[in-house]
Amino acid sequence: MNLELRKIEIKDVVFGEETGVKDGVLTVCKQDIINELMEDVNVKSIKVDIAKPGEKTRIIPVKDVIQPRIKVEGKGNGFPGVTSEMVQLGSGKVNVLDGVAVVTIGDIVGFQEGVIDMWGEGAKWTPFSKTLNIVVDIEPVEGLDPHTHEATVRVAGLRAAELIGKAGKDAEASTVDRYAMDDIFTETSKYPDLPKVAYVEMLISQGLLHDGYIYGVNSQKILPTLIHPNEELDGAVISGNCVAACDKITTYQHQNNSAILDLYNRHGKDINFVGVILTPELTTLEGKFRTCDYTAKLCKTLGVDGVVVSEEGYGNPDSDLLMICKRLEDSGIKTVLITDECSGWDGMSQPLADTTPEAVAVISTGNVSHVVELEPADRVIGSAEAIATLAGGWEGCLQEDGSMVCELNAVIGATSEIGYHNLTVELY
Amino acid sequence: MEQAFVVVTNNPVVGKDLGEIMVVDGSFEDVLLKVRDLVYEGHQLISHPIGASMRMLFSPYRSVLVGAERSETKEVYALTIESSIDTFRRSTANRNVDYVNADDYARIDLELLKEAIKEHGIIQREKIQEVQ
Repeated sequence: MNLELRKIEIKDVVFGEETGVKDGVLTVCKQDIINELMEDVNVKSIKVDIAKPGEKTRIIPVKDVIQPRIKVEGKGNGFPGVTSEMVQLGSGKVNVLDGVAVVTIGDIVGFQEGVIDMWGEGAKWTPFSKTLNIVVDIEPVEGLDPHTHEATVRVAGLRAAELIGKAGKDAEASTVDRYAMDDIFTETSKYPDLPKVAYVEMLISQGLLHDGYIYGVNSQKILPTLIHPNEELDGAVISGNCVAACDKITTYQHQNNSAILDLYNRHGKDINFVGVILTPELTTLEGKFRTCDYTAKLCKTLGVDGVVVSEEGYGNPDSDLLMICKRLEDSGIKTVLITDECSGWDGMSQPLADTTPEAVAVISTGNVSHVVELEPADRVIGSAEAIATLAGGWEGCLQEDGSMVCELNAVIGATSEIGYHNLTVELY
Repeated sequence: MEQAFVVVTNNPVVGKDLGEIMVVDGSFEDVLLKVRDLVYEGHQLISHPIGASMRMLFSPYRSVLVGAERSETKEVYALTIESSIDTFRRSTANRNVDYVNADDYARIDLELLKEAIKEHGIIQREKIQEVQ
């Protein structure tokens, strides 16, 4: 597969009469987006705002973040299987509005948090404080069941990204990133002496607000599956997860999966990157045993020497992570785990919900319990109730001056378990 | 015949239409402690005792599936419920239970429970077909 991600550097976003890109400025026709999204009979109203880095603006509760793009050569514009007809992704040329993100908000349940602060202390912790954010607030019609409500908001965000992405159709790219990888046998014949490495990406797959989708298929319904890294970079994997703000993998992060990009970068140099295995994190123990066995079996079938495993979420997925690790290490496959940790306000508690002695190479992407102070915003895009939830964590977390302290778990992408975030890792 | 299960729950919106229910008059932690007792009495731990995100640990409600039959206590179930209780206590040590959003937590717990029952049912059907 050959994929070109052609990055169009966007320096500013403004509202205007017609959506388009000129001299690095993205103009967005607000009414066009509203009209398009209102075609869904389940949508009652749409609000569109812009939030720029440095503004004293808070966005809450964030549901998903999506990168606007358009495929200019090859098949598969939009999100096949969801917003467009089913085609194979992973090949062709894609124009990317670099530096822009579509951020969807809309509280499906009252306890969603998911904050993006565009300035100050809060901005330090989320990668989406640095993007020019087009915020789409989706209010559904009354009486929708929660599953339809979630799907309505999820699909509206994808459609908005698709619509805005069209603006980049004829724009000039400032950089072009090429991702080319042949079948495993061909790649291995090119690099016979390099260790074969697979990437296992775990996805929360447990029901309402806890789902991930592959070409529109709910990952709850699959056995672990092999996917070409280009397919994910081209939009095959979509987030339906709304609760784990700090460590959910947004659609934007799937489109720019750091683990895939890093492995790609080393492919042919010091490793032979053989592909991605998407693994559901199920609810039942029997289901977990099955998917973990199956994941290890896929890795063994591929004949890999090493595996990088990334988790999504915290709690019961820790069991899956460590079961996969144990099975791989027992098979003689070197395994590196990427996960965040819940190690208390002082960072001194046991970090994961489970342990195994085989987990000897673990990368921590941050402590979800780390406490940060957020000052009051001049402008809030979203819901005041969500801020009340955010400020209600414990006695005294709301200060007299209106600032509040919260744990990192409320901040979008703060401890991204695929490494798409602002924290760094120290090697011990 | 599918292996029978019991829902151990303190969630007021979980109804008997889902199957046999053991109501716990208490907190999330009380549900976990009841599940622990049942596991040591030899019940299978069918669904994982805790959720997949920090936020769900602040819920006032939790529902867990255990097997209806008793046999020998399995180590993996005992370790899972013990580590879940430990995780719950550590993760919520400084936090208030989020009662303000109690109705929403009840609804989501119910939805996730339904998914767990569905997942369990599929696994059991597959096992039965294998035997036939």
